[in-house]
Amino acid sequence: MQGVHGGSVSLWGFYARNSGEVLGLVGQHLSLVASSTAIAIVVGVPGGIVLTRRPAWRGPVLGLANVFQTIPSLALFGFLIPLPFIGGIGATTAIVALVVYALLPIVRNTYTGIAGVDPAVREAGRGMGMTDWQLLTQVELPLALGVILAGVRVATVVSVGTATIAAAIGAGGLGVYIFRGVAVVDDTLILAGALPAALMALAADALFGLAERQFAWRAE
Amino acid sequence: MTRPLEVQGLGYRLPGNGKGGTGNGRFLVRDVSFTVGAGETVVLLGRSGSGKTTTLKLINRLLEPTAGDVRIAGERARDVPPTRLRRRIGYVIQEVGLFPHFTVARNVGLVPRLEGWDPARIAARVRELLAVVGLDPDTYAPRRPHQLSGGQRQRVGVARALAADPPLLLLDEPFGALDPITRVELQREFQALQQRLGQAMVFVTHDVREGLMLATRIGLMQHGGLAFLGTPQEFRESEHPECKAFMAAA
Amino acid sequence: MGGGGRWRAVQGGACALAMVASLAAGCRSRDRIVVGSKNFTESDLLGEIVAQQIERRTGLAVSRRFHLGGTFVCHQAITAGQIDLYVEYTGTAYTAVLKHAPVADRDSVYHTVARDYAQRFGLAWVKPFGFNNTFAITVRRRDATRYGLRRISDLARVAPRWRAGFGYEFLERADGFRGLAAVYGLRFASPPTAMDLGLTYRALAEGKVDVIAGNSTDGQIQALDLLVLEDDRHYFPPYEAAPVIRLTTVTRHPKVAAALAQLAGRISDAEMRRLNALADVEHRDIATVARDWLRSNLP
Repeated sequence: MQGVHGGSVSLWGFYARNSGEVLGLVGQHLSLVASSTAIAIVVGVPGGIVLTRRPAWRGPVLGLANVFQTIPSLALFGFLIPLPFIGGIGATTAIVALVVYALLPIVRNTYTGIAGVDPAVREAGRGMGMTDWQLLTQVELPLALGVILAGVRVATVVSVGTATIAAAIGAGGLGVYIFRGVAVVDDTLILAGALPAALMALAADALFGLAERQFAWRAE
Repeated sequence: MTRPLEVQGLGYRLPGNGKGGTGNGRFLVRDVSFTVGAGETVVLLGRSGSGKTTTLKLINRLLEPTAGDVRIAGERARDVPPTRLRRRIGYVIQEVGLFPHFTVARNVGLVPRLEGWDPARIAARVRELLAVVGLDPDTYAPRRPHQLSGGQRQRVGVARALAADPPLLLLDEPFGALDPITRVELQREFQALQQRLGQAMVFVTHDVREGLMLATRIGLMQHGGLAFLGTPQEFRESEHPECKAFMAAA
Repeated sequence: MGGGGRWRAVQGGACALAMVASLAAGCRSRDRIVVGSKNFTESDLLGEIVAQQIERRTGLAVSRRFHLGGTFVCHQAITAGQIDLYVEYTGTAYTAVLKHAPVADRDSVYHTVARDYAQRFGLAWVKPFGFNNTFAITVRRRDATRYGLRRISDLARVAPRWRAGFGYEFLERADGFRGLAAVYGLRFASPPTAMDLGLTYRALAEGKVDVIAGNSTDGQIQALDLLVLEDDRHYFPPYEAAPVIRLTTVTRHPKVAAALAQLAGRISDAEMRRLNALADVEHRDIATVARDWLRSNLP
């Protein structure tokens, strides 16, 4: 172990010597973020669509997602640990918590994106004999895609950050380096975890931003 | 011979019981009856809130009638699934409602595509209709709605309504959002179109001059009911106070 | 609010700022003792006992900064003067802080740390409480029965099929996992799962991991039906708990040293385990546990 009071060894040296472990933790981190975001999309996009069809549910559902959002992440992990099936130490609990946090941006943006479609477009579509499903898949979703992707982008970037805390409950990921560094006051270790996590968040932001521009319909 | 459209005792009452709640039990349309024959255009004229747009939406079941009967080519509208019904009725609205992410061609070909027509047939039909509404197919087919003027967009809207060759056309103030010059231009072209195509049409407007110009018969709506139903000439000579009020504004 | 009102708001703001600043400065005023502790129950308990003892015997005001962090966080805090004292363990100071190779003799470990801490850090070691809290390599009792595990050496047999879970400090320290694995030849199926130390007992009980490094005086060992393996190769040095205090504080407040000396040798292994169980298993309030203990043992 290198200094008690902070690494005198360069960060790059650390990465070079521990490349296997670093890649392993990066992989774990990516897996936590990817699986939780995927689940949040599968649950959240249809959820947002349902909200556009049943306006009465909008207040309670968005309100609930909002409440989840305000729970501090460590507290949410703590709540979930004692629960059967979805709780316990490890990645499962972390993924459940990450899904909970990703839901609000995704559900809300799906709702806003679809609700923002010009009502005349919807009326014309219905009036010409499109079924609700045809209207949804051929008109509403393509027009709302940009806003939905923006929601996914926000959810992913937040997940990358929150996933670092998952290391406290044994879920692995880059947080392991950060917690180890904090335990022994080693700045190099802390940075070794924090830097890739920050880069990952930036990369996710850039990638989804690109996807938004690419796939989202917009008038030139 | 069955008429393209028969409306009998049509009514629409808001939900609620007059004591507050979702609606208040008010009648928006009450006991409206008329028929439209092939090649005929019935213009529903009236002030704002007279029930003319509501009547239109009751015909293609965008709103469900609470009373009365609608028959399209002899078939009761109530017995046909709404989506199938609407595919056989052309629908043109004031805001047009073209899909912004579709090209003009794809917009026009919407109903034929939903009905599963052969792509070559759809393409040919699109070209035909664009020409009919006065837009050069080669220039306009690949364009997107935001690249068109208001008048051009509504021409596309009409072409779209005609694409599957429906027996009945419903138009809700189609030229209301256009500037006066474009409006007059489209009205004249529309008149020519009426004679060429032979569709049965129900045309809603609050503009009496437009109504007199395009109608085979005028149905004047007032407070949800038909105050007058007759030819433009009969309308001009009518002693009914609402007719006279509209003629004074003509 | 007009111009005059705005000026008054600025004045008010400046006043508030000045008050906060002086409060912050006053936090390190001469007559206040700051007691720190590490981030586990026993450390909090001992810190509370020390704090209350000082309050009773000297009448000085005591600030508590408990659950600060691990060994190194507390060490930094005391050398920087942010806390005046905290309870440390001789073995931890010997190997992790001073970086000596571990030895088994209690007295020699104590004398070395006392001397080196005074010379290098200006810190004094009070006499120990009287118990040894060593790392407890712990397994589930039924696994110990099934695989015939009694000593840490026995672990080498099952390790390749097992999963280990440790807190972050044990993973990182030189006298922690790395040295243990080397001395006992432990090769686990995959690298140990890292988690907050407090969660390791739960993880072991739930079957998420098969072996952990707890503390030998933890209250949960008995409650969760776990077994501590014997350190047959004497890898771990003795870990005797004692208050470590800044020499400047001792000079300024000699009564504090006297108060702390009264605690020496008063807590046995069994007694510490009992106190830990009261806090961890029965969830009693730490301040109350400390107060009751002081009343019974130092009336």
